[in-house]
Amino acid sequence: MTALFSIRDLHLSFPDRGNKPLFGPAPRIEVLKGLTLDIPEGRITGIVGESGSGKSTFGRVLVRLLDPDSGQVLFDGKDIATLDEEAILPLRRDLQMIFQDPMSSLNPRHRVWRLIAQPLKRYGRGGTKAQATEALARVGLPAAFADRYPHQLSGGQRQRVGIARAIALEPRFILADEIVSGLDVSSQAQVLMLLKQLAEEMGLTVAFISHDLSVIRHLCDNVVVLNHGEIVDAGPVAEVFENPQSEVTRKLLSAIPLPEMDDDWFND
Amino acid sequence: MSQQTQHRHALEIINLSIALPNGVRLLRDVSLKLEPGEVRALVGESGAGKSMIGKTVLGILPDTLKITQGEIILEGQHLNMMTPWTRRKTVAEITALIPQDPLTALNPLRKIGPQIVDPLIRIRGWEKDRARARALELLERVHIRAPERVMQSYPHELSGGMRQRILIAAAFAPSPRLIVADEPTTALDVTVQKEILKLIRELQKETGTAVLFVTHDMGVVAKISQQVTVLFAGKVMEDAPTREVFTNPAHPYTRALIAATPSSADLDRPFSPVPTELIAELHAQVARDDALWQGKKR
Ligand SMILES: Nc1ncnc2c1ncn2[C@@H]1O[C@H](COP(=O)(O)OP(=O)(O)OP(=O)(O)O)[C@@H](O)[C@H]1O
Ligand SMILES: Nc1ncnc2c1ncn2[C@@H]1O[C@H](COP(=O)(O)OP(=O)(O)OP(=O)(O)O)[C@@H](O)[C@H]1O
Ligand SMILES: [Mg+2]
Ligand SMILES: [Mg+2]
Repeated sequence: MTALFSIRDLHLSFPDRGNKPLFGPAPRIEVLKGLTLDIPEGRITGIVGESGSGKSTFGRVLVRLLDPDSGQVLFDGKDIATLDEEAILPLRRDLQMIFQDPMSSLNPRHRVWRLIAQPLKRYGRGGTKAQATEALARVGLPAAFADRYPHQLSGGQRQRVGIARAIALEPRFILADEIVSGLDVSSQAQVLMLLKQLAEEMGLTVAFISHDLSVIRHLCDNVVVLNHGEIVDAGPVAEVFENPQSEVTRKLLSAIPLPEMDDDWFND
Repeated sequence: MSQQTQHRHALEIINLSIALPNGVRLLRDVSLKLEPGEVRALVGESGAGKSMIGKTVLGILPDTLKITQGEIILEGQHLNMMTPWTRRKTVAEITALIPQDPLTALNPLRKIGPQIVDPLIRIRGWEKDRARARALELLERVHIRAPERVMQSYPHELSGGMRQRILIAAAFAPSPRLIVADEPTTALDVTVQKEILKLIRELQKETGTAVLFVTHDMGVVAKISQQVTVLFAGKVMEDAPTREVFTNPAHPYTRALIAATPSSADLDRPFSPVPTELIAELHAQVARDDALWQGKKR
C-alpha cells in the first residue's frame, strides 16, 4: 500500500506566554514530540487521543496551516513542511479540511451555493451555481438548499455542506476534525456513512480526528493514538482495539459510556 | 400553598409551549420537575427543543419566540410573575449555564482568567482574591493541568476540550443551585468526559446542585442521571427514572435511541440511526395532536 503522507520525526512547539520572563523570549511548550508515521493512500485513518494531546495541531500541519519546528511531512514525495507559500499553492486544493463547526469558518451572510462555489473560483475550477448544486446532490441535499443561509440549516445539514464544499474541489486528502461531535446519533450515522461512501467512490484519503472510539471503530481502516504529542498505538483499527498496546488506549476504550445501567462505572 | 413550601422543587416546568410568530409550536406542553441534588437528563435528537427548554428557564429565549402557555417555577418562585429585573436577578442568583457551543461562548479578545473571575465579583460580590482562588480551584478540578498558565491564555491558544472544561469550571465556580448543562461533554474525549461526569456528580453531592443535563448520548444518560425526559419535536415522549428507562423503556422512540447507541453487546455493529419510518410516524402523531389543539383553541 502506498503512503500519501510520510511523516518523519515531526516536532512542533508553541511559545509559553504564561511563563514568559520579564526579558527575552518566552520558553516554548513542545506539543508534537517526534511523530513518525505513514498515512496510507485511499484509506481513512483515525486520530484519537485525550484532549490536548495534539490531534488538531497535527492535523493542521498536514494541511500546512501550521509550520513544524523540524521533521519531514512528505506529501506524495514532496516535503510540504519546507515548501514556501508560493510552492505550496498548487497543493492547497489537494489538501482540504472540514471542522467541527463549519459555521464558524463560513461566512454567515453568503448563501450555501456561494460558499461552495467560492473556493472553486479561487482555484480556477469554475465556480457556478450549477457546480454547487451538483456538489450538494452528492452529499444528499436537494437543490433548494443552494439558496439557504447557514443559519437555516441543522447541524447535520451544515456538516453536509462542509463536506460538499471540500469534495467539490476534488482534493486528494481531507482532514476531518471532530466533524460529528456535535451531532445526534442519527445525523452522526448519516454523515459518517456519506463520508465513507464518498471516500470510496473518489479514492480519497481521509484523516479523521475524533475523541469517540466507537465512531473511529466503525469508520476507519487504521488508527493512531496520540498522548502528550507522542504516538502510543497505531495500526489497523481491529488490531489496535482488540489488543491495545498502551494504557492510554485501554483507558479510552473502557471509558466509553454504554447505554446500560452500571452502578460501579464511576468507581473503576 | 403550604404544601409548596414544604416541598420545593429546584425547578418545575408546567405545560410549557413556545411558538414562532406564525403560531407554529416548537415546544408542546412540556412539563418536568427537578429536585435539589438531582440530575435530570433531557434527551432527544437535534432540533427536538432541548436547548430551547434550557434557554426558557434561564430567560434567554430570542425575542422572536413567544411563550404561549405554561409556567417556570424556580425554587418555588414563579418566574412569569416577576418583573424582568427581578427575574434576571433571581435567575443569576440561582442558576448557571454550561452553553452548548464552547467554540463561540468565550470572548476571543479576553484572557480566560477575567472571563471566569469577573462574574464571581459581579454576581456574588466576592473580593478579587477570593474569586481568583475559586477560579483556580475549579480549573484544577476539571483537570486543567496548568491553571495559572491557562488563566493567562486567550481562547484560541487552547484546545477545544480545554475550552469546554473552562466553561464547566466557570459554571460551577459561583456554586449555583441549578445548572443547565447543554451538551457539556461533546468536545471531550471519553476519559476526560468520564472525569467531568464524575466531577459533576461530586460537586452536585457536595452542594446539592440540581442539574438539567441536555445530551443526545444515551450512554451518558445511563451514567449521569437519575431521571430522564425524552423529547421529540418539542413534545415529551417519556418521563421516567433512569433505571426504568434502561431496563424497561416504555416508548418506541426511547427504545430506538438506545438501540442507536453502541453497546457492549454489539460494539462492532454498523451504524443504526433511528428508523425513518418511526420518525415519520411520530411526526404524523405530533401533527394530529397539533390539529386537535388548534381545534380546541377556536
Ligand atoms: N496557538 C497556540 N498557542 C499556544 N498553545 C497552543 C496553540 N494551539 C494549541 N496549543 C496547545 O497545544 C496543545 C495541543 O492542542 P490541540 O488543539 O492539538 O489538542 P487536541 O488533541 O486537538 O485536543 P481536543 O481534543 O481538546 O481538541 C494544547 O495544550 C494547547 O493548549
Ligand atoms: N431563533 C429561532 N427561530 C426560529 N426557530 C428556532 C430558533 N431557535 C431554534 N429554532 C428551532 O427550534 C427547534 C428546537 O431547537 P433547539 O435548539 O432547542 O434544538 P435542540 O434539541 O437543542 O437540538 P440540538 O441537539 O441540535 O442542539 C429547532 O427546530 C430549531 O430549528
Ligand atoms: Mg482538537
Ligand atoms: Mg441544542
